[in-house]
Amino acid sequence: MLRPKGLERSRSSWWWLWASLLSVPLFELSRHAWIVTHVPSDADYRAAASFVRSQFQAGDLITGAPSFIDPIVRLHLGDLITPAMAGRSDDAAYERIWVISIRDAVPADAPRTTPQLEREFGRVRVLRYALGKSPVLFDFTGAWSIASATIVRGGSEQACPMRAGGVPRGGGLGKGVLMPFSRRFECDSDRPWLVMGPVVMEDLDNQPRACIWQHPQGQEPVSLRFPNVPIGDQLVFYGGLYYESERMREGGPVEATIAIDGVARARFTHRDGDGWKRSVVNTQELAGRHTEVSISVRAPEPHQRSFCWSASTRRARVGAP
Amino acid sequence: MKRPGLHTVGASLCVGYVVLLLATAGAIGLSRDEGIYVDAAQRYAGWLELLAREPGAALTRNNIDAAFQTNHEHPPLMKLLFGLGFLAQRAFHAFASDSQAFRFAGMLSAGLLVWLIYVFGARAFSRSAGLFAACAFALLPRPFYHAHLNAFDVPITLACTAVIYAYYRSLRDPRFAWLTGFTFGLALLTKHNSWFLPGIFAIHFSVCAFLERRQRARTGIRNMSLVPYWLLAMLGLGPLMFVAGWPWLWHDTLARVNSYLGFHTHHEYYNMEYFGVNYFWPPFPSSYAWIMTLFTVPLTTLLLGSAGLVYEAQASWLRPKPDATQTTVLLLGALLAPLVVISIPTTPIFGGTKHWFTAYPFLALFAGRGFQALLAALPVRAGRGRALLSWGAGAWLLLPAAVETAHSHPFGLSHYTVAAGGVPGAAEKGMNRQFWGFTTRSLVPYLRSVLPNGGTLYVCDTIYWAFEMLIRDGLLPPTFRPTGEIAQADYALVHHEKHFAEVDHQIWTTYGSVRPAYVLRYDGVPIISVYKNPRNAGSR
Repeated sequence: MLRPKGLERSRSSWWWLWASLLSVPLFELSRHAWIVTHVPSDADYRAAASFVRSQFQAGDLITGAPSFIDPIVRLHLGDLITPAMAGRSDDAAYERIWVISIRDAVPADAPRTTPQLEREFGRVRVLRYALGKSPVLFDFTGAWSIASATIVRGGSEQACPMRAGGVPRGGGLGKGVLMPFSRRFECDSDRPWLVMGPVVMEDLDNQPRACIWQHPQGQEPVSLRFPNVPIGDQLVFYGGLYYESERMREGGPVEATIAIDGVARARFTHRDGDGWKRSVVNTQELAGRHTEVSISVRAPEPHQRSFCWSASTRRARVGAP
Repeated sequence: MKRPGLHTVGASLCVGYVVLLLATAGAIGLSRDEGIYVDAAQRYAGWLELLAREPGAALTRNNIDAAFQTNHEHPPLMKLLFGLGFLAQRAFHAFASDSQAFRFAGMLSAGLLVWLIYVFGARAFSRSAGLFAACAFALLPRPFYHAHLNAFDVPITLACTAVIYAYYRSLRDPRFAWLTGFTFGLALLTKHNSWFLPGIFAIHFSVCAFLERRQRARTGIRNMSLVPYWLLAMLGLGPLMFVAGWPWLWHDTLARVNSYLGFHTHHEYYNMEYFGVNYFWPPFPSSYAWIMTLFTVPLTTLLLGSAGLVYEAQASWLRPKPDATQTTVLLLGALLAPLVVISIPTTPIFGGTKHWFTAYPFLALFAGRGFQALLAALPVRAGRGRALLSWGAGAWLLLPAAVETAHSHPFGLSHYTVAAGGVPGAAEKGMNRQFWGFTTRSLVPYLRSVLPNGGTLYVCDTIYWAFEMLIRDGLLPPTFRPTGEIAQADYALVHHEKHFAEVDHQIWTTYGSVRPAYVLRYDGVPIISVYKNPRNAGSR
């Protein structure tokens, strides 16, 4: 047996260490027991969902915290959570936010104020916050189908007709947005990605983004024109690329030109690494008008420039707590 | 020195562990890599049959290449053994299921490893240390999961530990040098982790040689030979066995060896979530292996191992007669080397904790050393009372590991210990939740209930051979068919890993809904979401 004499001197300090180590299992077992017994049951989630459902109204946003319970929240309230809600860029379109919360978590997009309402259902808490009247006047993503789509080839502009039908092919890692979408503007049947339409796409942070797919074809633009758009104080524009197209930071820039009433008002340039990028166009001087807004997308190197965007016109938000 | 009963206890531990693994394996679905190795094992087994039947034909290049082309990026030893399990199943129905037949060699490796750790601990420290170390290793949640598999991670841990043990013995008894070379050959034929062993030995032997020279100069006493017999054996036997044991290398040897080396020195990078960030390209975080060890090894085992290491290092330093074989240095080197290699920012981190499993036997040995020192500090005289107290202390210190390991089953790769806040704590911190798609097995009762007549499933990360094994094992009827087409499936699965979020989004867009029909959970953390295809809703 190894029993070095020199250790005798430090025996008492080691004795205390060994004695304290004997208490570690008590901590570990009790902590383990606490963790596994504090998992919310399905009944807790059901009760919380039933309460939210009974109070839910148009303009409400539902979210979960911490984010890992998101699939469970969608399991119980997924009929009220649209792809647009799950893939929102921000909460501007909503006036109240419901938070299904466990472990005392609060989502990043909840106001840093006291909730209007708080209820507990077992180990699940329901919080409701007021966001104020929605400043959104016009949501381009939701209204995509009223737009007209064009592609410029050799300097001449051609219409991209609306198509419906077809079955999306494949699925899985690295496949990105599956083609064809059920409804889309189709610009070139030989290049199935040269379409425009609504999708949910994974951004650089692996977050869902409900957006309009508008893949560039090169230096000549592909465009969407929205007629009769109500203009407010600002036009908020978000854009990004599919995760795997952007993450290696090897691709060239994508440029979106935002024109109001035929006049270019802003150029949005997205470079790899920008992620889901926000840009705000000041439109105060045009506020109150209804006019055409066009989004034209181009890229010098269009290969795998899976550009997708969402935007809305907004007035200044009022009534937020 | 003869040690009566040593191997009887070791063998009992081995048998007990293998029986436990056999009893629990059915709940763990085949993983992605296992599926590939099943395919390879069947092809290699076919070649073995041909070799037995028509040796001349089997040895032709065409037949060798036809069999061994499959998965030639990994050496063949374990796949040949998995294949033997398959042949035994086909001939004698030796196992309860086909998956068990393929996995048996892996489980046996785990049992042998537990045996070896016991013997190693008994030789280096004491039997109580060895016994505690063997149990501490057997009760690590992540290795417990991997111990069930027809994969290489536990077998290479056995092989590396065996080489280190043989090397350790060879320092005092040169006859073990041959065993060092032989086990090194087996390790080379198992997995490339073995490449690091000569480096560990070179450093350790240099320390031993330096101290031995100094000791000889001072006292004239020889404690060990300064001739590295182990090195001669490793150099002589290792490469020879590597080439002789891998038929793929019998033709175009140099080109194929280069291709093998190149595959692993320029390994592809995969995705791995760590504190909420999906890492897929270097530089990878150097803290990964250390934090994951902290978060996945039971806390008591980890603290006892750390205390044992410090205690042993101090004891070695203060020991009046130095240990000529520098046991502590060797065990410390074997413990740290895999962790340090993974900490290099260019080393891929895709395999969770499995890529540094070769460190864990040595962590367990230090835990055993700590346990031994703790027993020595007990204020009880020798006798029946002391024996009872020793067993009691051992059981008490292993209880958290046993509870957590039992709780981790069959979600071993999703399990995190209390240091991470358990499974929900780790999910909240943004730690990887699983990989390999094996958790589909846990969906079987749900799938059978919603598709009593079978149907088509988009199976996400579950590889074809793994899904097929659910049918071969009789868990699902053959009316279930996997498909890669989300739009065509009756139900679509998403295995929750950060980078698999895109599959969720593909399903939302295709099905027009974000609502899953079912969410498989472990401690309240989503593992798999199952979506029902609205287009096929009325078909069954």
